[in-house]
Amino acid sequence: MHPTVRARLDRSLGHAAQRRRAPVVRGFGSFLWEKKWFFIALAVGALLMHLPPPEGLDQRGLIVLSMSVVAIILFVMEPVPLPTVALMIVLGQVVLLGIDSSSVARSLMSDSVLFIMGSLMLAVAIVKQKLDKRIAYWIVQVTGTKTANVCIGISVVSGVLASFIGEHTVAAMMLPVAITLISLTSEDVKKVRGLAAVLLFSISYGCSIAGIGTPSGGARNAIMIGYWKEFFYDPTNPETAKYIIDYLTWMLYCYPIFLIQLPFVTLILLYTFKPERKDISRAVVKLRKQIRADGPMKSADWVSIATFTCVLIGWLGFSDTLGLGTVAIFGAVAFLVIGLVRWEDVNSGVNWGVVLLYAAAISLGVQMKDSGAALWVANSFLNFLEPLGVDGGLPLWTAISVLTTGVTNTMSNGAAVAVLGPITLKMAIASGESPILIGFITAISSAFAYLTVIGTPACTIVYASGYLKTTDFLVVGYRMVIMSTILLIISASLYWPLIGV
Amino acid sequence: MARKPGTKTQAKRSATGRPAAKKPAAGKPAAKKPAAGKPAAKKPAARKPAAKKPAARKPAGGKTGRLKSVAGKAASRFSILVCIDGSEASYRALRYAVRIGSGTDADLTLLYVRPIDQGMRTGGLQISVVRENLLDWGLELPGMRSLKKGRELLAEIGWLDKDWEAEFAHADVTGDPLGDNAIVYSSPGGRSVVLRLLVAPSVAYGILDECELGQFDLVVAAASANEEEAGPGFISSEVAARIAREHSGTVLVTRELEESHGHLVCISPLGGGSLRGAQKDAEIASRCACPVYLLSVAKTKAGVKGAEKAVAAARVAIEKVGVRPSGEKVLVGDPVSTIVEEGKGYSVIVLSRYRRRTGWRQIFSNSIAFKVLARADNSVMITR
Repeated sequence: MHPTVRARLDRSLGHAAQRRRAPVVRGFGSFLWEKKWFFIALAVGALLMHLPPPEGLDQRGLIVLSMSVVAIILFVMEPVPLPTVALMIVLGQVVLLGIDSSSVARSLMSDSVLFIMGSLMLAVAIVKQKLDKRIAYWIVQVTGTKTANVCIGISVVSGVLASFIGEHTVAAMMLPVAITLISLTSEDVKKVRGLAAVLLFSISYGCSIAGIGTPSGGARNAIMIGYWKEFFYDPTNPETAKYIIDYLTWMLYCYPIFLIQLPFVTLILLYTFKPERKDISRAVVKLRKQIRADGPMKSADWVSIATFTCVLIGWLGFSDTLGLGTVAIFGAVAFLVIGLVRWEDVNSGVNWGVVLLYAAAISLGVQMKDSGAALWVANSFLNFLEPLGVDGGLPLWTAISVLTTGVTNTMSNGAAVAVLGPITLKMAIASGESPILIGFITAISSAFAYLTVIGTPACTIVYASGYLKTTDFLVVGYRMVIMSTILLIISASLYWPLIGV
Repeated sequence: MARKPGTKTQAKRSATGRPAAKKPAAGKPAAKKPAAGKPAAKKPAARKPAAKKPAARKPAGGKTGRLKSVAGKAASRFSILVCIDGSEASYRALRYAVRIGSGTDADLTLLYVRPIDQGMRTGGLQISVVRENLLDWGLELPGMRSLKKGRELLAEIGWLDKDWEAEFAHADVTGDPLGDNAIVYSSPGGRSVVLRLLVAPSVAYGILDECELGQFDLVVAAASANEEEAGPGFISSEVAARIAREHSGTVLVTRELEESHGHLVCISPLGGGSLRGAQKDAEIASRCACPVYLLSVAKTKAGVKGAEKAVAAARVAIEKVGVRPSGEKVLVGDPVSTIVEEGKGYSVIVLSRYRRRTGWRQIFSNSIAFKVLARADNSVMITR
């Protein structure tokens, strides 16, 4: 290598560790420009706080509302790392609202947060077991080599697994399967654009529609279960026990909605992208050969399946007494004790900032309720909708679903439920609707983030493959949104009344 | 798996040239797990890791300090950085860069920037877990595919030969399973091609970092109009314009590049920096035997004499570097729209700009160069 080239390369590689922190080209002006949304958010917050409180809202409510507006701007524009927003929410509660710091710290931890933490640790543990090849083998054995059948197989398997172990886990496991099938079909990406889109979206949308199926399908579900308990459950009033939604009850409401969406996903994908190959036998044969080389299931594989089955039984049977979070933590402990995963892997595989973010968002949501800000926003929204004839029943459900879908496409679905949950639950009270029904509509609609790459974890993961374009999400996403919203509203009007909402 | 940052450099001369060149890009490039398909992983690092060099790590007070801390650029070799995003436009730009770089003293770097994965977007599961899983399956990551295609193109047009020596270098980036990677192909005659895959907070940051640290003579960025054909390292028109605005060196932003129509060098009626810019372009144009045309636009008829004088001075300046202009023009009108209109018939419109514009200052920028860059439909080169 020429010394000049080597010197240039050494300089560049030597800078690799710093690049994540700060670019070379940077000055105060650039800093201000990059952080403009941070300063705009702060300015908007300060302005709102200094306005006279509107009717029905006191000063404390106005401060909480201002904090929420600032948090939403920062969630959407991301001028600072998202965990910073969580820390700012903590600071705001102590400094602006004058709440004792120990109380704020206590409000950050709840069963929902424990569940998020535990399920993320479980996710890393499960991905590390390398069961994906076994699952892939099983899929292609059952589906055969027809593209449409393989897509159905991937959607069904991704969906069923994601409904229990979380969409990020399944997307991480299934992505290599899809990419292997695509690359074994053709090295030229352009020749298999349609096939790639169909296979990859089968994973992401299979996971997204399934995330609503059980409480462990996503953080948003655990957050809503936490809100129902926090807002409506009174231990001294037995009538409020219905607001403790256990694992099976949730499944009873939501699992059928996931199942009826499944065939529509494949139909929409095949109609939208029209894969270039109707049969991918060459790729399937190669994949089978590749997987067979790994040999039969090992004892560690069986132990990890048995461990997760125990966790599942714990969720199904004991979540109402122990809590979802405790069972998830038990699973993580079991994986670590048995030695199926190392703590170092768990530590580096989990983005702990997400746990902090959800904890702070839930804490802010509780403040929204306590300060009356949630009720004020709910009433204002209802007043706005009233002239349009939307004041309850099906039109209100649709309006809430559309609102949640809009918000969840711009931020993570957990954050969307954390922010919107208190408002929609108060809207339910103000309009005389069932908070359980409105809560389910909010939580389920938060999974309709099909339009953007950042909408759901599964979408972000499949996008990382490099085969999909951001426009692909829009092209197919709007069809998915329409299908899911219609099926949700039909279920809410026809199915839920049958089981007693 | 968080690793401490560090760099590794390994070298291996391949009998055929091709296997050593191919395999690094096909699998996990890190030298951590030596396996079949991993390039030269068994050979210990031939040189001291670059990360330990104080010059590269030393933090400096301001941006000029940082730039000063960068070691001086190569005295004699002509270096070109081509930004690749997997789009056809970026490969057209690569072809043009090859034309400019013809000669034994030129080094070519193909750069693909992979934006840092957003762990917050995957619901808390770090995307590095996903990437590690993909690498365990032996699958390529998007940037590797695009760089491989660039390498194949270079081989196809005869720039890269089978007997070139391939050397692999890697730097760990905490939290990213792939880190920063480079494969350097060196010809027996001393020419080199570097395939560079790096991870950065954003595509623009990564390119700007590499530009400043590499001190290239020319940076070529294709402004892809069509996101459909590019990967996650997509270089949009905004990214390309930002590189042109903020980089302290010469940048060629290519759009629908047609190679054989020559360079239209725009000279300010006030002369000054544009004369040195013309000289710089003449040097570049002479490398690819591209004809050079001179243009100066006077705002009013009263300014025509000054414009003619500036063109004459530019002619003298470029003749000093051995290039004769193929044509000269002085026009009257609004400089931006006149240049954009006149420039349509040329391969590249060349303008000079001394200061770069970063951050909020770009709002107040009144630069003709940046306005032309924003409005022109064809390629624009900003010389500095």
